[in-house]
Amino acid sequence: MAKLHIEPKQSEEGEDGAEFQVVEDEGILAWDADSELLVVGQSYPRLEGREKVTGRARYSSDVRLPGQLYARVLRSPYPHARIRNIDITKAEQSPGVHAVICAANVPRIAWYEESVLFDATVRLVGDEIAAVAAESDELAQDALRLIEVDYESLPFVTTIEEALRPDAPKVHDGGNIAGEPTTYERGDPESGLHEADVVVTGDFETPCALHNAFESHGCTASWEGDSLTLWDSTQAIFVVRQQVAEKLKMPEHRVRVIKQHMGGGFGAKQIPWKHDVIAALLSKQAGRPVQLLLDREAENMAAGNRNPTRQHVQLGAKRDGTLTAIVARIEQSAGAYRTGGEASNVSGTYQTLYRCPNVRTEQTAVYTNTGPAVAFRAPGHVEAAFALEQAMDELARALDLDPVALRRRNYAEVDQLEDKPFTLPEGLRLSYDRVTETFGWGERTAQPADSVKRRGVGFAAHDWSGGTGHPPGYAWIELNSDGTADVVTGTQDIGTGARTGLAQVAAEELGLPLANIAFQLGDTATGPYSPVSSGSATQATIGPALRAAAADVKAQLLEVASVVLEIGVGRLSVRDGRVLVDGDTERAIAVGEVMQKIAPHTLQARGARAPNPADMTIRTFGAQCVELEVDTETGEITVLRIVTAHDCGRIINPALVDSQVVGGVTQGVGFALSEERIVDTRLGIVLNANLEEYHVPTVADVPVIEHARVGVPDSAANSTGAKGIGEPPLIPTAPAIANAVFDAIGIRFRAGPLTRQRVLAALAARETNGSGEADS
Amino acid sequence: MKPFDFARPDTIAAAVALLDGRDASRPNRSALLAGGTDLLTLMKADLYAPELLIDIKRLAELDNRIEETAEGLTIGALVTLSQLEDDPRIQSLVPALAEAAALAATPQLRHMATIGGNLLQRPRCWYFRKPGIHCWLKGGDDCPARQGENQLHALFDVSPCVAVHPSDPATALLALAASVRLRGAAGERELPLAAFFAPPTDERRQETVIGNDELIVSIQIPAAAPGTRSTYLKAMNRKVWAFALAGVAAAIHMDGNRIAQARLALGGVAPVPWRAESAEQVLTGAEPSPEIIARAAESALASAEPLAHNGYKIPLAKALVRRALTRLTAPAFPGA
Repeated sequence: MAKLHIEPKQSEEGEDGAEFQVVEDEGILAWDADSELLVVGQSYPRLEGREKVTGRARYSSDVRLPGQLYARVLRSPYPHARIRNIDITKAEQSPGVHAVICAANVPRIAWYEESVLFDATVRLVGDEIAAVAAESDELAQDALRLIEVDYESLPFVTTIEEALRPDAPKVHDGGNIAGEPTTYERGDPESGLHEADVVVTGDFETPCALHNAFESHGCTASWEGDSLTLWDSTQAIFVVRQQVAEKLKMPEHRVRVIKQHMGGGFGAKQIPWKHDVIAALLSKQAGRPVQLLLDREAENMAAGNRNPTRQHVQLGAKRDGTLTAIVARIEQSAGAYRTGGEASNVSGTYQTLYRCPNVRTEQTAVYTNTGPAVAFRAPGHVEAAFALEQAMDELARALDLDPVALRRRNYAEVDQLEDKPFTLPEGLRLSYDRVTETFGWGERTAQPADSVKRRGVGFAAHDWSGGTGHPPGYAWIELNSDGTADVVTGTQDIGTGARTGLAQVAAEELGLPLANIAFQLGDTATGPYSPVSSGSATQATIGPALRAAAADVKAQLLEVASVVLEIGVGRLSVRDGRVLVDGDTERAIAVGEVMQKIAPHTLQARGARAPNPADMTIRTFGAQCVELEVDTETGEITVLRIVTAHDCGRIINPALVDSQVVGGVTQGVGFALSEERIVDTRLGIVLNANLEEYHVPTVADVPVIEHARVGVPDSAANSTGAKGIGEPPLIPTAPAIANAVFDAIGIRFRAGPLTRQRVLAALAARETNGSGEADS
Repeated sequence: MKPFDFARPDTIAAAVALLDGRDASRPNRSALLAGGTDLLTLMKADLYAPELLIDIKRLAELDNRIEETAEGLTIGALVTLSQLEDDPRIQSLVPALAEAAALAATPQLRHMATIGGNLLQRPRCWYFRKPGIHCWLKGGDDCPARQGENQLHALFDVSPCVAVHPSDPATALLALAASVRLRGAAGERELPLAAFFAPPTDERRQETVIGNDELIVSIQIPAAAPGTRSTYLKAMNRKVWAFALAGVAAAIHMDGNRIAQARLALGGVAPVPWRAESAEQVLTGAEPSPEIIARAAESALASAEPLAHNGYKIPLAKALVRRALTRLTAPAFPGA
């Protein structure tokens, strides 16, 4: 049995709860660059691929239970209002209706800061007011129309600028500043700016982006006696279980959360939402299972977004490019509520990406009467990179330096926040090398014969605090009598292919072919605790736990084999389903054959994720090069190619990593060129909460994306050497595109996305006044 | 969506009888269902709640064919956009229409959407489409887009409503001098497209003059002089699957090295497909040159009155006009 160490917990800011942490040693050596791995490193197709392409994979929206009802939520039409009265009588009498809930007939359940589940004050268009469960979705919608609500409309704000005015209407009683502003400072930024030979200053704005995962939010709730089962489209089955149990005042073990397949979450599904509890309450009242799926409109109003930001940035540098100061003042809109899942550290990359002795960041979140922000694939960093990486490009041009050379000159060898070395300090340098070589950076861009079209190239770098993985996280393994293994975790595959990458780690350590592994996840009733799948953490969190469990089982197997073969354990190893004898190939024996000798006994073990190294910092890094063409008459931007390189440690499954890279860059292209939530500031209404006018990229918008793999194991980070890749590829895309647009036409776009409207307005402004600056 | 009755009549006369638009107090009583690509979105958003849906998709009497005669082309109301896109006669005789159809929506939508429904579709204005906003076009007092988020809206101020007409084929058909044949309780009539589309007024808050009791039977495109060239260009906020920020359809007949006849229509700039007659006058009789083409483009947008956020559409539309004309007047025009 594993030895447990109980230590006082180093609590992070704002965190409450547990005071101690359990530290478990994995007791294994990390795979390093010389390890000869058979299964890890291969592009196995997804284990669930057949299920998905045959349509048999069941998503949360596919759940059909006997007697299942369908729910709809009544949402506020006002951005800010007090509810004087709600009358649900007519809705309750509407045909096919089995339950109607609102503030009057459910317990007060605390939600979002000081508010409750169905609050008497609504703070955004889309805030939840009541809900109906009926025999069909249409009947539920019919009943919604019959709910009578008496509103007292209140003044509201929808933009950061409005929210910060001294006389602004207050979103919450405490005012419009959301939480404590954060300030970070090292060195003396003023002196740093003073001693600089060149200072660049810019005001940047990033848009509010909407997640728009293929599968929208939703769940199905079903009670049996006092036990609740939720099929939820979530990134965090255990967090949903804990939170729903807490909200409903139930013991955790009476809540089961299941999520086998998911059509993406991108951060928006990393927290439980009101619909989880609403479905449970409706189901309880109706005595039947209830499915509550959010339509695209509801999701895009009320279930998360990437916070819009304003960033005032100053960079100072010596003539040779050495940075002397980085100063950033950041304002971001939290929307109407802090959900607890924002994780939007916009300041972070200013503090860490480049070596600089003098840095100051100030970050203030403000409330607005709009949908609440929640993490969106590399939250904070995507927004910050748009500003910092354009400012670095401006600085390079001001200094007449190559943008990559400028970045190399300011290479951060250590984590400047804690003065600790990185686990793979060359990660970013390797990314620079790989991406520039593959792209052909520095080679002249051939301009098209048609002078109306201008080509340009752009570069951007990034770091990311995620991808590290962390404890706790557990795995169970049972080696069966026939030599196959059941591998059980409580993590979830949010569409990334986590099943496959994790099963490869287990197969490798067990010495079994991948086909001999049955991999289970996504069910709180059958697997051990696993944390939320966010921060690109799943592979790096659960992989080492699986290795630990597998190593334990393997050790047991070798003990059995040692007895069976009458050979010392020291001469035995397992590979590709066979126990091998060192120096005697003839005596190799199938794992199943060994197991048959002890049947029906099986070999079992558990593994736990050990802590990350205390004396080193784990980071993921990367860099991207873009080539594009701008049509200077029509404002059309055509991205021609993107090459990207990322240090994600060891690549467990190249095909899966490539698919994360392509997906991330694609979202980056959307963030750069077309994705922007539009809110009418006089009405407080999102005008494009749909896929018609919120323009995600189509296949025709996405260029050739080439992944220049780095693939150097980060063996100091964890025992598998693998780090996460889910979020990083999106971070540098938008600034690389904006830098390439500048290269093409000499106009700096400090506000995104770079739509035709912005590009043509800027081109027209230059025509009139010769300025190379785009208005926001 | 509210409950409705459903009918599938066997004849046009029966369909017209069901339309029953003479009861002016109940203008929403019935609606025609063909492809349904616009109607169903309107109904699902509660913007339109007809009591009766009249399914004409399989109405044998209503044509889903394209016919070529000496007078020109007749396109049945039920012809889909993908038929227009793929038909060799459309491609060779009126390429502007094939190009416009191909640039509309997505392949899935084009397989469903009919040309009749395409001409009758309602604007995509996000204020109009939002159920909670009671805009002028839906019977309200004013148009919220005028002072609001009007980046997608009209450059030509010809109606209390500043939404733009969303159809790509309509712009092409206007440049091709097409007309629509309507059948109603009082019989059949044929209207040139320029008369069929009319900016909404206080009395008629819709984009066409079609009567409540009428349906589109077919679209006629008159035979153009041999050698007439046409094209359609469209600018979107992404490469495909978006409504036009601006669209331009042009049809040119050259007589030697002079432009004998020119028709030019713009989309995405007005509540109706917008004919640029002054630009046509600049071109007619002229020898094509970059200067003449630039003058035509200037002329086409001369009376534009941009709103706060849509001024970018002026240089955009001008560029598309220049490109369309340059392409059509090039000596080496494909097929010339």
